[in-house]
Amino acid sequence: MNQTIQKIVIVGGGTAGWLSAGIIAAEHRIEPQNGSDGFQLILVESPDIPTIGVGEGTWPSMRSTLQKMGISETEFFRECSASFKQGTLFNGWRTGGNDSYSHPFTAPHGYTEVNLAPHWQSARQQIDFADAVSPQSVLFANRQAPKQISTPEYAFNVNYGYHLDAGKFAELLRKHCVEKLGVTHIKANVTAVNSADNGDIASIGTDSHGDIAGDLFIDCSGQKAMLLGDHFGVPVVSKNSVLFNNTALAAQISYSDSNDPIESCTLSTAQSAGWIWDIGLPTRRGIGHVYSSDHNSEEHASEELLRYIATTVSEQAAASASMRKVQFSPGHRAKFWHKNCVAIGMSAGFIEPLEASALVLVELSAAMIAEQLPANRGVMDLVAKRFNDKFLYRWERIIEFLKLHYILSQRTDSPYWRDNREGSSIPDNLRDQIALWQHQSPWHRDTNSADEMFPSASFQYILYGMDFETAPSATRRSSDQAALSRAKTLFQENANKRAQLQTSLPTNRDLINKIHSFGFQKI
Amino acid sequence: MSNFVIVDSKLHTNLKVNTSRSAELGDNVMYTMTYPMEFRDIQSCYPIFFTKDPDSGQFYPAALLGFEEGDNLFLDKDSWQATYIPMMIRRQPFLIGFQPDPSQGKDATKPVVSIDMDNPRVVAQGNDESGETLFDEAGNPSEFLQQTIGRLESIHRGLEHNKGFIAALLEHELLESFTLEITLNDGSHNKLMGFYTIAEEKLQTLSGDTLAKFNTQGYLQSIYMAMASFSRIRAMIDKKNALLG
Repeated sequence: MNQTIQKIVIVGGGTAGWLSAGIIAAEHRIEPQNGSDGFQLILVESPDIPTIGVGEGTWPSMRSTLQKMGISETEFFRECSASFKQGTLFNGWRTGGNDSYSHPFTAPHGYTEVNLAPHWQSARQQIDFADAVSPQSVLFANRQAPKQISTPEYAFNVNYGYHLDAGKFAELLRKHCVEKLGVTHIKANVTAVNSADNGDIASIGTDSHGDIAGDLFIDCSGQKAMLLGDHFGVPVVSKNSVLFNNTALAAQISYSDSNDPIESCTLSTAQSAGWIWDIGLPTRRGIGHVYSSDHNSEEHASEELLRYIATTVSEQAAASASMRKVQFSPGHRAKFWHKNCVAIGMSAGFIEPLEASALVLVELSAAMIAEQLPANRGVMDLVAKRFNDKFLYRWERIIEFLKLHYILSQRTDSPYWRDNREGSSIPDNLRDQIALWQHQSPWHRDTNSADEMFPSASFQYILYGMDFETAPSATRRSSDQAALSRAKTLFQENANKRAQLQTSLPTNRDLINKIHSFGFQKI
Repeated sequence: MSNFVIVDSKLHTNLKVNTSRSAELGDNVMYTMTYPMEFRDIQSCYPIFFTKDPDSGQFYPAALLGFEEGDNLFLDKDSWQATYIPMMIRRQPFLIGFQPDPSQGKDATKPVVSIDMDNPRVVAQGNDESGETLFDEAGNPSEFLQQTIGRLESIHRGLEHNKGFIAALLEHELLESFTLEITLNDGSHNKLMGFYTIAEEKLQTLSGDTLAKFNTQGYLQSIYMAMASFSRIRAMIDKKNALLG
């Protein structure tokens, strides 16, 4: 039981595997010259299984993740066909017509001191919530970049994450992990899982490298969850009764012209029984339709996707589009860490990419393992329990947050939207929150925020973007007058900042071209 | 906007260039690009900092002339009050470019001098105002034009040298950002942002090998000149206060 945890084996080499390897190896020093004595990290990747190209959108957290790993942002942009993402623009979610609203990454101006939501209520007919409180929604509507070429790498004028080519990203991470961080890369197929007396995984058997022993095994083998699922039989908790989408049709579309603008946000356009993502990379657009197969036929879903491509790109692009179908069962494992095995990525769970939660969960999982790496087997179960509690909480919050997007919709044009508002499909906690939000707006002191996936600001953006009404306070508070005058100042400051950024920031494509020509400075 | 054309003895026979100093002629700049070969002269008059080209984000050394946009403290009505005027100021309104010169070999190039016809220094043809001519009556380059070409060539070499110098500074993390906050006699605050200077603490940790290499490349002298030039700020603050009266 006092066996020191110093040999970690990661099974699977997609973005989840290599991102986990990079995050852990950046925290724990690997000294290959010490042979089997020091900390070791081995990634076993099948040479035969192609990686699935999901997760093309990241959160702003990816900036510090890359920076901690020691990857240059310039190299990242050049190697991964990366682009800037400043948030999401939701089209047609409210009524199915021309309505749209923004969820920018930047929190409302002055968010640490004044809650602007109540003060915006009186102006809601004149200005969208996001426009009133953040400079960012207008910037991404203009397809502007969040910074300038003279801004140092990873720094910003307005907060941002990335859109990226997942295949190229895994390759960059692999190179960095092996060449700079001392990760051992083994290409082999796993043929057996060998147990120890206590039920732990002692080693994995491979076709070309024999048995590979380890103290901790990280299952990054994708949806099939070779270790946590197949070997240990930890079941998937289905969330299909809450989130209906279980099928995706994905296409990659070329720009009509290589100088076409690149969107600096994810576009999410609601359909009859799902929604279409549109992610702009410098080289192509990733466009896909994620829908509920219980509410939509593949044929109709594909028609809707092609219509979108025809309208937003060209008839020609739609005519030549080839689609790849991905089926998934929305949900997560009943637990993620069992004995000496922990699952990260699709082996832990999968849901629709509505708020790009896949990669951030990988980052958070690997960061927690890196930080809380159990000193020995004796305390591993305690860390595992912490990990499971934390990530079950996070999965629940993600699921509720995604569900919120659907239940605020006023669409009645298809059973899908009506079913989404059925009481039985809404988690209790979310129902309680909504009852409360009718009388008070979300605010950052609502919860112990350390483990929250989505800050209260995100709830504000979705609620007020979707026309949710919070009743004005029935009583007057002693701080009202001061808050009102401060709010007026903040609204004005935001308008000024937006005007200034609109004139000073380049277009997304211009900046990306400059990164390719000149690169960012580190300072 | 600029309107550069290649200097031509046939087209520009009567063209004159006004070489006096004034705000109207474009000398009211807050800072100007410089390069190590010029540092000795620059540091005798101006502080040397580093800043980024907004179009490329690339660093270059700059001589500081004032504390705010459009403010050149060395410009006093129609004269420049300093013993040395930076080359990048004196080159106006000319630029140098290079064209292939197959007559001299496969990769050979020859310098081509361009002039910005929209620059206020360019005196319209036939105008009687004083100024320097570019060509003599026989169509040969005037002494002024020859000096100009000489300046442009040294600027060109200087900018090439800058690339290596800046790369070396960045590689050894010898640049650090700094904000200059100045309080003037009238109580006003001026804050200068977007400038970088030599990271002296980092410099002190360089290995003997690196220092020796820097010495051979001429970078070491440039680094110390840039550091020493810092003390010119005091004189500039005094100038500014004197202007406030």
